[in-house]
Amino acid sequence: MNLDKAGALRMKTSTAKSGLSRQTKDSITGLLMVFPSFLLLVFIVILPISLAVRESLLDPNGALSLANYKYLFTDKAMKNNIIFTLNLTVVSTVITLILGYILAIYLRFSKGRISEWIRKLYFIPMFIPAVIATYGIINMYGNHGWLARIVLALGGDSFPRFIYDYNGLLLANLWFNIPFTAMLLSSALAGIPNSLIESARDVGAGKLNLFTKFIVPMTYKTVLVAATFSFMGIIGSFTAPFLIGPNAPQVLGIAMQQSFSIYHDVGIASAMAVFMFLLCSAMGYFYIRSMVKEEPAGR
Amino acid sequence: MEQTIQLSISGLQKTYKSGEGVRDINLEIRKGELISLLGPSGCGKTTVLRTIGGFLSPDSGEVRIENQSILHLPPEKRPTAMVFQSYNLWPHMTVYENLAFGLKLRKTSRSEIRQKVEQVLKLVRLPGMEKKYPSQLSGGQQQRVAVARALLLEPKVLLLDEPFSALDAKLRMEMREELREIQAAGNLTMVFVTHDQEEALSISDRIVVMNSGRIEQVASPQDIYDQPNTLFVAQFIGRMNFLRGQAVGDRINVQSFGFHNEKGLRGEVTVAVRPEDIVMLHDESAGMGGTIRQVMVLGHYAEISIETPAGLTKVFLPREEARSLSTGSAVRIGITRVTAYSQSS
Repeated sequence: MNLDKAGALRMKTSTAKSGLSRQTKDSITGLLMVFPSFLLLVFIVILPISLAVRESLLDPNGALSLANYKYLFTDKAMKNNIIFTLNLTVVSTVITLILGYILAIYLRFSKGRISEWIRKLYFIPMFIPAVIATYGIINMYGNHGWLARIVLALGGDSFPRFIYDYNGLLLANLWFNIPFTAMLLSSALAGIPNSLIESARDVGAGKLNLFTKFIVPMTYKTVLVAATFSFMGIIGSFTAPFLIGPNAPQVLGIAMQQSFSIYHDVGIASAMAVFMFLLCSAMGYFYIRSMVKEEPAGR
Repeated sequence: MEQTIQLSISGLQKTYKSGEGVRDINLEIRKGELISLLGPSGCGKTTVLRTIGGFLSPDSGEVRIENQSILHLPPEKRPTAMVFQSYNLWPHMTVYENLAFGLKLRKTSRSEIRQKVEQVLKLVRLPGMEKKYPSQLSGGQQQRVAVARALLLEPKVLLLDEPFSALDAKLRMEMREELREIQAAGNLTMVFVTHDQEEALSISDRIVVMNSGRIEQVASPQDIYDQPNTLFVAQFIGRMNFLRGQAVGDRINVQSFGFHNEKGLRGEVTVAVRPEDIVMLHDESAGMGGTIRQVMVLGHYAEISIETPAGLTKVFLPREEARSLSTGSAVRIGITRVTAYSQSS
């Protein structure tokens, strides 16, 4: 009681001195603390995006036009690039999710020695830089790589072309994305108490029911998070496609880089960037919407 | 009383890597009986329960329900249902979906499911809760739904793994009574695991007292309380005084008292006396002398600690009688009933 009074008194005097209420002061402090990150956001995200959007809407003479976008969606090579990229991204994401989910479920429910080893090793790829990993893939799967040499030594006469192709990129995408996906899903699966699964089995749920009616509903949000992260990472991938991607069609990231630094066609490059940004925003929109849409229970 | 054996366990053994586990578990449970597995944590009671439920496979032994071995069956095929310790409702399903799930798997018709769910919710006193999610229910309500979910499966044996231990004391008592009512009304066979002796004493037909992986005693609550077989049971169940005594011939002597030596013990013995079997004497020459150490008033009665030549004893007295007693005064006590144990046990 006394303390309260003293506090109120102190506040009064300080307010009188500065002429500002405590609330105003607090909000000013708050704004000051937010300001640096706001500046960063403006200069690193908002401004470049607006510039790119503007650039994409200008023709070589500096007039407003949709020519760049028209080119993007009508030029045969460009159309192929877009289709190639979307196809690769969707297929890679789906396979990543499937394999990552299987791995996570195996790690969650298997208690053997092998699973113990996999548990220790599976996330190593996350700590290997993309360039090194890509050269590793070249060394392993390349025309004169280890696999080819082993096949040769075993008496085979040819090794199928694997990298510098769709398959090589798919392989690289899986290598880069499965560990993180499996890690996310593992932690989601670890959050399901054993007793919940046991009670489901107790009332008669077999393996299939257990998976579709319990494990999937309890982890689908994390699956969505994993899907979003994989999608974003794969659609914007550059290192692997640059080193082991095919020359045509190309992944959008590479096509963009070429338009920009080789053909010096800033408008087309910007249009591609804006298109990719829109794709990712759409993904982000679905992600945020499903995160916000809590089930009525609100657990 | 019906004598059909509903569940029989014989020669059950399960040892964990840590060396803990259960051994020589033999138990027969009659139809309509509520059996408690009681013991301190780590005594193996949950191991026995989980083995019956199918979540553990034993190293050796046999578990039969209605004379059919169930050991080869996975949990989902066993005629048992389990109520788990923590609230175990599936968070992504409503109460109705939680209850209906098992019935759906059994291809019960939709209208029948609806009717059964309504019935069982009435039974556990939660009518009209179908649409709620588990997180919208209190702990007691959740555990009621969990019991209801198990009952709906019409199990031949219902297994309960410390189902009320997460609830507060008052709710625990209510749930106990309700469970007992449901059990009696449906003539259900239940195996109830608890570490709470009061809970076991209040609801069981018979209690199985377990200690470090073995069964110490199987008897009705009354017999467990009055005739604990071993020193462990005597220590574990209820309040008990332990006095030093000597077994000589067919007598057991505790100071000036002599009791019949039923078990034929020899030498130094531990004599167990319930506080309610000790009486205060007013005759200066009778019984055993002692000094009051402490008088604690606990509501309607008082607990008196008395230092005697045979050891410290506790006595319960009505509050009125305890009023005249004070710390340090000399009293004389008599003992009406004892149980003796050889000191090696």
